[in-house]
Amino acid sequence: MSGPDRTKLPIRRPAFGGTVARTLDGCQPDWAQIDHPHPPVGAPNVLVVLIDDAGFGNPSTFGGPIDTPNFTRIAERGLRYNRFHLTALCSPTRAALLTGRNSHTVGFGSVGEFSNGFPGYTALLPHDCAPLPRILRENGYSTAAFGKWHLTPDGQQGPAGPLDRWPNAWGFDHFYGFLGGGASQWDPCLAENQKIIGTDPAFYDEDNPYYLPDAMADKTIQWLHGVRAQDATKPFFVYFATGCSHAPHHVADSWAQKYKGRFDQGWDRMREEVFARQQELGVVPADAELTVRNDAFPAWDDVPDRLKPYYARQMEVYAGFSENADHNVGRVIDAIEELGELDNTLVIWIWGDNGASMEGSLTGSFNELTMQNGIPLTDEMQLQLAERYGGMDAWGGAMMDPHYSAAWAWAGNTPFQWGKQVGSHLGGTRNPMVIHWPDRITDNGGLRSQFTHVTDLAPTILDVCGIPAPDEVDGIPQEPLHGATFADSFSDAGAPERHTQQYFESVGNRAMYKDGWWLAMRTERIPWVLTPAALQPYAPGVWNPDDDPTELYYLPDDFSQAHDLAAEHPEKVEELRALFWSEAEKYKVLPLLATLGVFFGIAPPLPEVSTFEFRGDVENVLSGMVPRIYNHSYTISADLVIPEDGAEGVIVAEADHLGGFSLFVDGGRLTHTYSMMGVFVFRQQATEPLPTGEVTVRMEFAADAPKPATGGEVTLFVDDKPVGSGRIDHTVPIRFSGYAGLDIGRDNGGVVDLSYADRRPFPFTGTVKKVVFDVRPHLALEDEHAVHLAGQHGQAVHAVSN
Amino acid sequence: MAIDDETIDVLIGGYLSKDAAIEDYESVLGCGGYLHGAVVVTKDLEGHLEVQQTDHMVREGAAGLGAVGLVVGLFAPPLFAATAIGAVIGAGAGKLLHHRTAEKLEEQAGATIPIGGAGLIVAYPHSAAAKVEPAVTRAVTRAVGEAEGHHVQALKGAITDAQTKLAKQQH
Repeated sequence: MSGPDRTKLPIRRPAFGGTVARTLDGCQPDWAQIDHPHPPVGAPNVLVVLIDDAGFGNPSTFGGPIDTPNFTRIAERGLRYNRFHLTALCSPTRAALLTGRNSHTVGFGSVGEFSNGFPGYTALLPHDCAPLPRILRENGYSTAAFGKWHLTPDGQQGPAGPLDRWPNAWGFDHFYGFLGGGASQWDPCLAENQKIIGTDPAFYDEDNPYYLPDAMADKTIQWLHGVRAQDATKPFFVYFATGCSHAPHHVADSWAQKYKGRFDQGWDRMREEVFARQQELGVVPADAELTVRNDAFPAWDDVPDRLKPYYARQMEVYAGFSENADHNVGRVIDAIEELGELDNTLVIWIWGDNGASMEGSLTGSFNELTMQNGIPLTDEMQLQLAERYGGMDAWGGAMMDPHYSAAWAWAGNTPFQWGKQVGSHLGGTRNPMVIHWPDRITDNGGLRSQFTHVTDLAPTILDVCGIPAPDEVDGIPQEPLHGATFADSFSDAGAPERHTQQYFESVGNRAMYKDGWWLAMRTERIPWVLTPAALQPYAPGVWNPDDDPTELYYLPDDFSQAHDLAAEHPEKVEELRALFWSEAEKYKVLPLLATLGVFFGIAPPLPEVSTFEFRGDVENVLSGMVPRIYNHSYTISADLVIPEDGAEGVIVAEADHLGGFSLFVDGGRLTHTYSMMGVFVFRQQATEPLPTGEVTVRMEFAADAPKPATGGEVTLFVDDKPVGSGRIDHTVPIRFSGYAGLDIGRDNGGVVDLSYADRRPFPFTGTVKKVVFDVRPHLALEDEHAVHLAGQHGQAVHAVSN
Repeated sequence: MAIDDETIDVLIGGYLSKDAAIEDYESVLGCGGYLHGAVVVTKDLEGHLEVQQTDHMVREGAAGLGAVGLVVGLFAPPLFAATAIGAVIGAGAGKLLHHRTAEKLEEQAGATIPIGGAGLIVAYPHSAAAKVEPAVTRAVTRAVGEAEGHHVQALKGAITDAQTKLAKQQH
């Protein structure tokens, strides 16, 4: 029996097969008219799990030091894939996974925060590339996504949208998580479907605080139960994308304590230990070699003894954080098993989306945003700042937003070189994958070594579901999928490789793979360094990509990329280099380094709006949507109503004590606190109390000059009368936070000024009628251009760090 | 030993945490070197100032140390903000960028102990320097000043010298 035509979506409703007359007399209804599309018979449930910012050598399932019992149990009843590849950045991998197409083609050559005017870098999913969840939903699946999204442009993450790039529009019936690239795990600014819901009320419960990984599992299980309560057989597609192990590395200390002392040997020795286990497990061939440490990373032996505990603790927390993710994925899998549906659920679990992240720089940080803001802190300074906010025992708690050292990330990518952002090498492009499906996989614990790529997942899922990739969606002809199914490898260890050719490109680092050969073309910029000296060689008219050093590897004989064959095979180098350029053109990779174009003078037009008005009930404005007060003068004014007995509380606040500002009333006095990333905290307070009745207050920041990180003078006004002042020596040049929002009339979640933390969210007890930001006072046009460009530079820095 | 018998050294250290300052303070007290006095000043996250000092102050009449509540030049990170990078690169590439973003970032001045920070001041005879100075291991900024003369005059002179050196470190 032929089914509906699934090549054109939405599936057309069948022609009416009954009869209709003027009255019911003699009429025959056609009940198919009120049915909905059903997937092909036997189509399985699908659960895709994507861990964030983790490396090939992290999970114990692949020989790593982090205990991942659930990943292992799934592997032991399923298959390990040890040659699975992806892009070296967050959003591109997610876009490729969910579309089955190369990331540049679908507008995600870079991350969601960095949407620019080149086709491969818009961060706007084209309508001719309908994504997998949309296809599955139109074919009768219930679909849901939980956790990290990172596929909606920064400037579209509010109620005005447009909402056509939010998760629901990508085809998910339900979404719970966060839209950005990272989130506090204790205090995420949450989104649910098409609304930013902000801080969960449980954040304020000190005895049983909110924790996103737990909540993600809870919400997923609730959603599954809800679907099954309504429909016992409708298959589901769940995309479970953890915030872990992206910074901030947040986890309860009990999880980190499990690793106490387990990293005291340092990163060099850890790599050797991991490599030995990988070979013992067979996930790395016996003839593979451990690659050597690049000089960019310090030897552990060169770390001063007194700082070794500081570094070791960073990795202990990361490990505990990661194991907790394994635990919560395990809860979801248990829930599916309890439903009796695990055997018919295709579980695809990928440990990492781009290799482990080296964005913590060499020192690691108590606050990952210090790096993005260009604040050079030594490891001793980082340690002292950690002490300020509770000490190393609190690393992982809500008072810090920590990131570990790049050297730990490199070790987490054992046995490979490099890591995240470095698309030229396997450290950033090869991650562990496990597939579990008892109804179809019988080679329990088997290993598969076919070259596979993240674009293969959607074709594979559609293949096993019996659903074709549509050639038309909403009347729009569709770009064919770029990946290839590898479903036959489920039952055949010797299944042929179908993905024989693939380009890679992330932040200018690029590679070309073909039939086992891999040409690596790495820019010499170290990923965590964005200094003028590091970037200048890549300026337009200066950089010739073909002059970059090349390395050539033959992967069938060299699993880890330990032997550069470029000198021996110059003809292969040229062949693959030429192939890269043609693939780059075909898939919209060009221009290279479009991600960093803003550093070379290519910026979007000047914004036309410079005043922003917020009424008193606006809250949870995501960080990318907040008026940019950086690097120049600005004013914030508010119209208030103060009751006869006075008022206190927050008028307006952005982010938290690790970077942000708050204008509030305490003890009857107008107060302004500015946290420069938690490194410096500046506070100004009025010398006289607020009057009652209708009051207008204002803070003015008069910058020393319109320039990055400018200092300046703050003056507080009440009804245009100056009532207080003070200096801010250092301001934040780029961004307070990647994940804490702005609130009017309160300071949701973690607060800016810790003096009112015991009263959080410290709601204003009078009335805030409106708050107005003027972010362009007194600027000459030339200064305006300069500041705009500086802001765009900052946006780029933030973007490549997510 | 009377403090006007020889050159007085004053070490000023700046810290980003109270813990680090106290650690050095205690280390100095236990270093075995003769001290004229030591004082550690910390400011908590709510802005409250706290001062700890040795009884050397009283013994030696070194009131000048205890009176120094604010230490010049605790910590001023050069903000190599990425926002300024484009100007430099753009200039190299001949791109049109406004000259004001191409200016070298000015060094930032930090005149007081910041909220959450701390300062340590130690005065000692120059002959004790070999024991005192290695005991200070965690200061993120530090300078040693020296002066000769009558003890109070020498002490103030040494503090001024140390503060001047700290200020120079930021330029």
